[in-house]
Amino acid sequence: MAHSDFTANKADRPFLVSRPPLLRRFSESWSSSASAGIGYLVLGIIYFPILWLMILSISGEPLTGFPGEWTLRWYENMFFGSGQREGEAYGGDFNILDPLLLSILLAVITSVACMLASLAVGSVLPRISLRGPFLMTFLMPLMVPGIVAGMSIFLFFRIGLHFKMGLWSLVLAHFIWAFPFALLAMMVVASRFDQRLLEAASDLGASKLERFWQVEIPILKPGIFAAGFFGFLLSFNELPFSIFMRAGEITLPLYLWIQSGAHNTSIPLIFALSTLITIASIFLTFIAIRVGFSEKK
Amino acid sequence: MGARSGSAQGLFNRRFLPSQSGGIWSLSGFTTFWFLAVVLPLIGIVIFSFLQTKGIRVRWDWSFEAYEKLFFYGGGQLLERTIRIAATMTIIELLLAFPFALWLAKGARNQTVKLLTFTALTVPFFLSPVARVVVWRSVMSIQGLVNTLLLDLGIVSEPVEWLIFSEFAVHLGFLGQYFPAMVWPIFLSIALIDDDYLEASKDLGASRWRTLYHVILPLSLPGIVAGFVFCFVPMLGDTIVPQQMGGGKVMMVSHNVYNMIGVRNWVMAAALASIVLAIMLSFQILLWAALRPTGGLANVFANLKR
Repeated sequence: MAHSDFTANKADRPFLVSRPPLLRRFSESWSSSASAGIGYLVLGIIYFPILWLMILSISGEPLTGFPGEWTLRWYENMFFGSGQREGEAYGGDFNILDPLLLSILLAVITSVACMLASLAVGSVLPRISLRGPFLMTFLMPLMVPGIVAGMSIFLFFRIGLHFKMGLWSLVLAHFIWAFPFALLAMMVVASRFDQRLLEAASDLGASKLERFWQVEIPILKPGIFAAGFFGFLLSFNELPFSIFMRAGEITLPLYLWIQSGAHNTSIPLIFALSTLITIASIFLTFIAIRVGFSEKK
Repeated sequence: MGARSGSAQGLFNRRFLPSQSGGIWSLSGFTTFWFLAVVLPLIGIVIFSFLQTKGIRVRWDWSFEAYEKLFFYGGGQLLERTIRIAATMTIIELLLAFPFALWLAKGARNQTVKLLTFTALTVPFFLSPVARVVVWRSVMSIQGLVNTLLLDLGIVSEPVEWLIFSEFAVHLGFLGQYFPAMVWPIFLSIALIDDDYLEASKDLGASRWRTLYHVILPLSLPGIVAGFVFCFVPMLGDTIVPQQMGGGKVMMVSHNVYNMIGVRNWVMAAALASIVLAIMLSFQILLWAALRPTGGLANVFANLKR
C-alpha cells in the first residue's frame, strides 16, 4: 500500500538533520508508548481468537474450558466423514467439498473480473477531470451495509425484473463487493503513473496497442496484481451478499454460517476448517505483501 | 487508430484528450453497468418500500404501511439499539485507533516492527468473519475459557453469564472486527502530513499537545471521517456479530432484515433497509463535506504521488 512511499520519503532526504531528534522525542515519550501499547492490545484481541481457534481445532473437547486431549480427529472427520451415529457428541454430516469448489470457482472468476475492470477504470480515471464523482459512485458499496446492498440487488433482479438467481447472481454480487477494494488498490498505483510516459511512447512512434502492452501494463502491474488478490480473497470469504444471491448454491462461508447457526455439533469441524482457511489466507497475504513491497522498490 | 499522429486532429487529441478514446468508452460502458447493477437497485429499494406485494408480484399502490407497521412492531427500538451499539463502538475504535495510527505514522522508527504491524493490520480483512467470531463462543460461554479461569482462580463462585449472548458480547465482537478499518484511513492521512509542519509548529514554540490539536488533528480529519464511515456503516449491517455474540437476545437491524426476507416480507425489509440507507447517505454527505477542503476523494490519491 501507500506506506512504502512515506518511508521512502524520509530516506530520500537524509540531509535534514533536525528531523531525527524530533521523531525520537515523539517515540520515546510515555504517551507514544501508551498509544503503541493500546494498539497492540487491540491487535491482541484480534489475533487471540484466531490463535485460540487453531488450538481448539486440535483439541478433543473444543467447547468446554481448557483445550486438552490433543487430536486430529476433526480434520479426519472433515475430510472423510465422522462415521459417528446419532447421540454421539460431535459429528453431523459435514460435506465441504462442493461448497469449497464453488467458492474457489467464484473467487477465481471474481479475481479475473476485478483485474480487468480495475485496469479498464483505473487506467482512465486519473486522467479525467470529473474523477471525484466517478470514484464516489464506484466506491458506493463500501458505504452501504452488505446486507442492504445484497437485498437491493436481490429485490431489483428477482422481484423487480423476475430474473432467476443462480451462479450469475453470486458472481455479480461478489464482483460488486470486491471491485471497490480492487479499484482503490489500482488507484494507488495509477495515481503515481507519470502520464508523460504515454506521450513519450507515442512520440517515439509506438502504436496504441504497443503503448498499452509495453508501457501501461508493466507500470500498472502491481495494481493489477493487487486487484486480483483483493478479488480472490474478498470473494472467498464473502457472506452477506451470498445470503441473498445463492438460490440453492452454497459457498463455503455460507456453509459455515448455516452450520454455526444450526447446531453445536459441527462447531469442532468449523474450527478445523477455519484453521485451514486462515492459514491459507495468512500465507497468501504474506506472499502478496512481500511481492507488493519488492515490486515497488 | 494510426490517424492520430501527424494530423491536426491528432495533435488536438493528444493535447486535450490525453486518454485514448478507447479508455473513455470502456469507462462509460462500465459506469453504465455499475449504474444498472448497484445504483438503480439502491434507488429501487426505497421506491419498493412504499409499495405492496402479493407473492412475487408488485402492486403499485403507494403507502406508508410498511413504515407504520415497522414502528408499531418495535422497529424504533431496534434502530435505536443498532445505532447506539454501532455509534458507541465507532467512538471507542476512534479513541483507540487515533493514538495508534499517530504513533505508527510519526513515532515508530523500527522498519521491521512497522512492516509486521502493517501485515497484522491487513490480514484480518481476508479472514472469514464467521470463523473469527464463532470462536469467541467457546472463550466466553458458561463452560468456556474465561469462566473456567475465573472459577479455578476463585474470583467468582458462579459462572459469569453475561460474557456471551449479551450486549457486552456484541460490543466485544465488534471491537476486534473493525479496528483495522479505523486505523488504516487515519494512518494514511497522518502519514501524508509533511514532517516540516510538525517541525515548524515546534519551532514556533507549540507544545506537543498544541501541535496535536492545531496541526495534526485538522489535517487528519479526512482520515478520521473515512474511518468513522468504514466502521459505523458496516457495523449497522453486520450479520455475524449480533447473531453469534448476541445469540438472538440482542436483535440488530441486519438480523431483522434477514428474518423478514425469510418470511417473504419484502416490503418491510425494504423499509428497514431504506432507513439504514438514509442514515448511510447522510454519512456519505458528511464524508464528502469533510473531504472537500482537501480537494475531494480523488485528490487523496493524487497526493500519494508525492
